[in-house]
Amino acid sequence: MGETVNTRIMKSTRAGALAVAAAILLAACGGGSSSSSAGSGSGSGGGTATVDLVSSPGTLDPGLAYTAQSQDADWLVYTGLLTYAHANGTAGSQVIPGLATGMPVITNGGKTYTLTLRSGLKYSNGKPVQVGDFAYAIERDIKLNWGGVSFLTTTIAGAADYQSGKASSISGIVSDPSTNQITINLISDYGPFDNVLAFTAAGLVPTGTPMTDQISNPPVGVGPYMFENVVSNSSFELVRTPGFASFHLPGVPLGHVDVSVSTESNPLIAAENVLQNKVDAFDPSSPIPATLLSSIKSTASSRFETIPTPWTFYFWMNTTIAPFDNKNARIAVSEAVDRTALERLSSGFLSPGCNFIPPGVVGHQDGNCVNQTNGPDVAKAKALVASSGLTGAPVTVWGFNTSPRSAYVQYYASVLNSIGFNASVKLTAPAIYGSTIGDAATKAQTGDGDWLQDFPNPVDFYIPLSAASINPTHNINYSYVDDPVIEKATAALDQVPTSQLTTVAQQWASLDTYVNTQAYEFVYGYAQLSKFLSNRIDFATAIFSPIYLNDYSSWQLTS
Amino acid sequence: MARYIARRLVSSLVVLFLVSVFTFLIFQVIPNGSPALRIAGRGASPATLAAVVKEWGFNQPLYVQYADMMEKIFTGSVVSYSGNINVLGQLRAGLPATVSLAVGASVIWLSGAIVIGVISSRRIGGTVDRLMGVLASVSISVPVYVIGAVALYFLAYKVSIFPNGGYVPISQSFFGWLDHMILPWLCLSVGFIGLYSRVLRSSIIETEGEDFVRTAKAKGLTKRRILVHHVLRTSMIPIISLWGLDFAGVIGGGAILIETLFNLQGVGQYAAESIGLLDIPPIMVIVMYGTFFVVLLTTAVDILHAFAEPRVRLQV
Repeated sequence: MGETVNTRIMKSTRAGALAVAAAILLAACGGGSSSSSAGSGSGSGGGTATVDLVSSPGTLDPGLAYTAQSQDADWLVYTGLLTYAHANGTAGSQVIPGLATGMPVITNGGKTYTLTLRSGLKYSNGKPVQVGDFAYAIERDIKLNWGGVSFLTTTIAGAADYQSGKASSISGIVSDPSTNQITINLISDYGPFDNVLAFTAAGLVPTGTPMTDQISNPPVGVGPYMFENVVSNSSFELVRTPGFASFHLPGVPLGHVDVSVSTESNPLIAAENVLQNKVDAFDPSSPIPATLLSSIKSTASSRFETIPTPWTFYFWMNTTIAPFDNKNARIAVSEAVDRTALERLSSGFLSPGCNFIPPGVVGHQDGNCVNQTNGPDVAKAKALVASSGLTGAPVTVWGFNTSPRSAYVQYYASVLNSIGFNASVKLTAPAIYGSTIGDAATKAQTGDGDWLQDFPNPVDFYIPLSAASINPTHNINYSYVDDPVIEKATAALDQVPTSQLTTVAQQWASLDTYVNTQAYEFVYGYAQLSKFLSNRIDFATAIFSPIYLNDYSSWQLTS
Repeated sequence: MARYIARRLVSSLVVLFLVSVFTFLIFQVIPNGSPALRIAGRGASPATLAAVVKEWGFNQPLYVQYADMMEKIFTGSVVSYSGNINVLGQLRAGLPATVSLAVGASVIWLSGAIVIGVISSRRIGGTVDRLMGVLASVSISVPVYVIGAVALYFLAYKVSIFPNGGYVPISQSFFGWLDHMILPWLCLSVGFIGLYSRVLRSSIIETEGEDFVRTAKAKGLTKRRILVHHVLRTSMIPIISLWGLDFAGVIGGGAILIETLFNLQGVGQYAAESIGLLDIPPIMVIVMYGTFFVVLLTTAVDILHAFAEPRVRLQV
């Protein structure tokens, strides 16, 4: 009996071995994902550059794309009526005409925007662009629940009705095929609406594009690049669009190389690949691992740079509950925390600063910190806490459970303890951090926060300081700031059109100083992101946009 | 036997149902934030939030949400909360890499374990046996992510013998596929080889004391024939059972660390990313998919055992 059984097993094992071999071949024939192979220099035209993204891009469909990785690519594929200048630094924050003939004509007290669509435009598949495609693209964003959809539904007349199903189209957008004019009526005057029009989600797509996520086959657009070989949420290629040059869009470059983008979720490997010139660019949205930083600085300093980005980091203090409902407690924090200590913890990816409006955005002021005029003063802060009768007050400090943010919070808690509070730390996963502390029931006292711009306008940076952002379940004003001075100032400044922002730079700066005096938040710095390229890319001419980071259209191969 | 198989299949369905219910409930109980907030985006207006809640059915009772999710899973329309991406599509995309990893590694660990286990059992207490024992202990003890990280650093980054992670489909390049898979295969196999070789060694030693082996010796059969045809066949039964479970575990996304470390973009890596985002739909699908494979292979192994060992049938 045993003999028979064993024979069966052996036969089964032999059959299994054959099945195993077949399974390997069959399974491996399926769709794959990323490879870390080096970029080929023999692509069409100027060759092909390669990029490793550390985070998956998500969908590239402009009606849903809201990750940094997807929007970087969509910027080059879906040009909107307006777009951003292809330039480094503050110049890259400038809104310029894209598919429109010029900047919008603003009438009706800032409530009506009129633009003219250029004639003769075609999508990358050759289909002519229609003037009604803009309205369709906006309707599609709303139907798909694009991540920034509230910027559309709270500004454009009739958009909210379209969202709720009360209307079959957006009444506030009127398209005139005879003149190619697009008129957009707003609910009320909203200065940053130029920035809203420059979102990649406002890029034109053909009317009739399915109102579902086109993740595997993103819609065609009008832009210097088009998508090819898209593998959902993993890899894609940006290929220069034939015929795009004939549209002559001022300020929109044609691109020099095609770009092959894949995902390498291990940042260490991704950085090593660029260091060894196996891949052409590192994902700037991800910090370079500290273990490799010294090697990069010593052996590849000519192709590595950290660049300040409009991304503010701060400790928020809930002004509605103890102990930070006491202004002295907040000022004590502002006096004691050492920004340079946090900079050290960041391995150089944080630039110390004290004002909420970050560098590169109108209204930013370097230095001018209201407190800490002579550096951190723990003794002064401790005395302030003691004189306020807050010594020993329990404080829970909330933060991310990922490095280096967890280290920032640990340091912050140690400072709170050193000035007399009784602080403990509570760390959560980044995915649930906002919804946890944004729930009033959590009664969160203080913690770590950051604000990455939706668009480069000071209005955007005052959203987390606005009373309108206070909400019982999805609050983003973590300090619960409800200050009449801020409300009055922003109500006036919000109306200033993007094109006239520089005329009110001083008012924004003054408002930032006022926020500092109230110590609603303790701003400790701004993100510095990495521009790290292989030696195949001309580093000097490669643009690092303050909005979309690596500007692939500026890349040129050195060999 | 038919009744036995039927019972196993029914119990498998019960296990799948219970696992799906418990997984769903666990992610309702633990603080995982409101998925509606994540979908609606930062600073969503109340109207947008309400639209998301209604569209996704988050205002429905739990049992309705569970039923809705199961329906979406079985109709293939389930999408992730983060990114709104079709989960089954992602799973299908990751399966080739995971199957490649599991099949290749399991062949290596099974072959390696048999060779080492047999050699150790031939030299019980000798230097080779002791050395193999130490190596087995080390390979079991060292975490797979340490082995992987060290191998990647030295063999891929420093010496550049192997590619620095990534996956190439065999349809794109056979040698590229092989080149990218060798290091993950070896790293994943090391621990299993250590464990399996020790189990096999013990099993061989135990089997050699059985009456039928003594009889074979008395009949004058050669040592080689006794080992291969009598001892090894019997000793392999626990190894095959173990292999079934481990293989199913790896196929079911169990090689999370190796896949993530080597950026294979397989099911395990997708699971790791989804867990990091506390994204329930992919986690549900991957857990159910992993459970399915474990149940399937366990059942297959049990049925094999039932054929091989009549007492198994009688006990059920």
